[in-house]
Amino acid sequence: MKAPRTEILEYVLRTIEDLSQDWDYTREVGPQTLLFRELGMESLDVVVLGTAIQEHYQFQMPFAELLADVGQRASHDLSISELVDFVDLHLNANVPTAGTGIGHG
Amino acid sequence: MSVKTLLIGLDGATFDVLDPLMDQGVMPFLKSFLAKGARARLRTIVPPLTPPAWTSLMTGRTPGQHGVFDFFRMEPGAGHHIRFFNSNDVQCDTIWSLASGQGLRVTSLNYPAMFPAPKVSGHVVPGWIPWKQLRLACWPDGLLDRLKGVPGFNQRELAMDIKLEEKATEGCSNREEYGPWIELHIRREQNWFEILKYLVREDPSELTAVLFDGVDKLQHLCWRFLRPEDATPLTSDWEFEVRELCLKYFRRLDGLLEQMCELVGPRATVLMASDHGFGPTRDIFHINAWLEQHGYLAWAGDAASRDTEGAVLGVGQVARHTFLMDWSRTKAFATTPTSNGIRIAINHDGNSPGIAPSEYPAFRQRLADELRDFRDPKNGERVVTEVWTRDEVFSGPHSEAGPDLTLILRDGGLVSILPSPHVLSSRPSVGGAHRPLGVFAANGPGIKTSDAGELSILDIAPTVLHSLGLPVPKEMQGAVAERIYDPQFLELHPVRRAAAPSPYRQRTENNGSAAAPMEDEEVVLDRLRELGYIE
Repeated sequence: MKAPRTEILEYVLRTIEDLSQDWDYTREVGPQTLLFRELGMESLDVVVLGTAIQEHYQFQMPFAELLADVGQRASHDLSISELVDFVDLHLNANVPTAGTGIGHG
Repeated sequence: MSVKTLLIGLDGATFDVLDPLMDQGVMPFLKSFLAKGARARLRTIVPPLTPPAWTSLMTGRTPGQHGVFDFFRMEPGAGHHIRFFNSNDVQCDTIWSLASGQGLRVTSLNYPAMFPAPKVSGHVVPGWIPWKQLRLACWPDGLLDRLKGVPGFNQRELAMDIKLEEKATEGCSNREEYGPWIELHIRREQNWFEILKYLVREDPSELTAVLFDGVDKLQHLCWRFLRPEDATPLTSDWEFEVRELCLKYFRRLDGLLEQMCELVGPRATVLMASDHGFGPTRDIFHINAWLEQHGYLAWAGDAASRDTEGAVLGVGQVARHTFLMDWSRTKAFATTPTSNGIRIAINHDGNSPGIAPSEYPAFRQRLADELRDFRDPKNGERVVTEVWTRDEVFSGPHSEAGPDLTLILRDGGLVSILPSPHVLSSRPSVGGAHRPLGVFAANGPGIKTSDAGELSILDIAPTVLHSLGLPVPKEMQGAVAERIYDPQFLELHPVRRAAAPSPYRQRTENNGSAAAPMEDEEVVLDRLRELGYIE
């Protein structure tokens, strides 16, 4: 299932907003919101979110490599916008699983 | 509608613990339940590990058939990436899909390999999900909001809350932290029970199932308090207090079992089962250190001398192993300490590291023989008592996802994957580890009072289906536990074997299974640390 980036962004934002109602998280969630530092996610939270995204789009993406990349960044973090870029890249361009296509920050 | 079958999972339960507790009056309901119904030892699959074993219980099939071998799964390709298991790894029908597919409603609470949740008729609250993501995991949509109205509902304590659990368990050598940790698990079981009670009363399913996983956790960390005869006698007030808290957990669990049986009534079949048994463990076998000493593995750079931050088995190193090993010089390696599996690197294309495919059988045999020959330098005992090849224990269409060799250690413990100057060392104190024989108990229509001896975990799925009046698919490797039934009842309710209702189809069809990613999963590792896989 292909989808334009705007739709992916809308889906990811809506999903995280839905989830955050259970966390007592009151700040606004936007494209630049950081998953780890701001939303307080742990690695397994991102693993589960990634699985849900794959399930939604019925498309397998190399999340393991993405998170490995994040682990090597100086910031050790990932924004919603970067997550959407990753999904967009793989969903709409059929990028092979080697390489995430997301540069190190 | 009423509950026809109640399946109660007791993760890691063993009669070695339960029988003494029943004798001591800690679990009077379970004692009466067993006295009135059937009991059996339940032999699990290889390896005796939570994800593959519960999946075998839910499918009636072995790992080579259902596709789940470990908490972790190695991704195909040269990257050596490892990811966490999920429900898309399950490659065959489950009791949930079979029952739902034949028009029954099912409720599945806290079972592993259930996320993404199957879209059954009924309810699914998967286990092994972090609390912040529970909304994504529950089925159907809106279920979590309904559950929030359940008395005492606490999302943080119900599902995984790493920070909470970490607080309770971090440095459990700190005496003050045992109490809160055990109390957390008492509350968590109560939480699951309240959800079950709510759903049974408000929106019942013919097949209702709940899994209590605190049994496993307590036994990992508190074995020496539960069975001091396997370790050292308890002497201090603190040790007796911890033991008393463990007994409180089992006393409360017994109360929940009683309430659940009352809730579903005498017309329901109640089945209790564990995924594996338990016993004491004292050894640490550093498998990758052994492989290195024998020239099969090479560490990358300074990996061999890096600080392991107090880890013993190396669960915390699972995701990092990609960077710790020199793959160009490694022929055999253990990627996880949870399944005691060894993988052999094969040079399939002629340009990769590893052994040539033609050398594989002889190489694997030599490796297995050398492992069996490894002896404890202190007393000459064999440390590795069994070495199973993939062909022997994982036959089936998905065997390739399993390790090449699976080890059984003399004390039933788990290997360490960490670099170490020693191949064999001792744990700081006796812990608990998985064993092949778990528990089974049953009561209900047609079930006679009996000791059924030994059953297979593969028999549970067929028995569940039979108790629901459904046929048993021919593909299931287990059989209905007919000897727990009165013969006259079986005459009236004969076991029916049938082809699977429909060919199993994965939910993700366009490009194969939707794999969950895996990375440096400190969170998972903390969770596993809590389970006692590491000290």
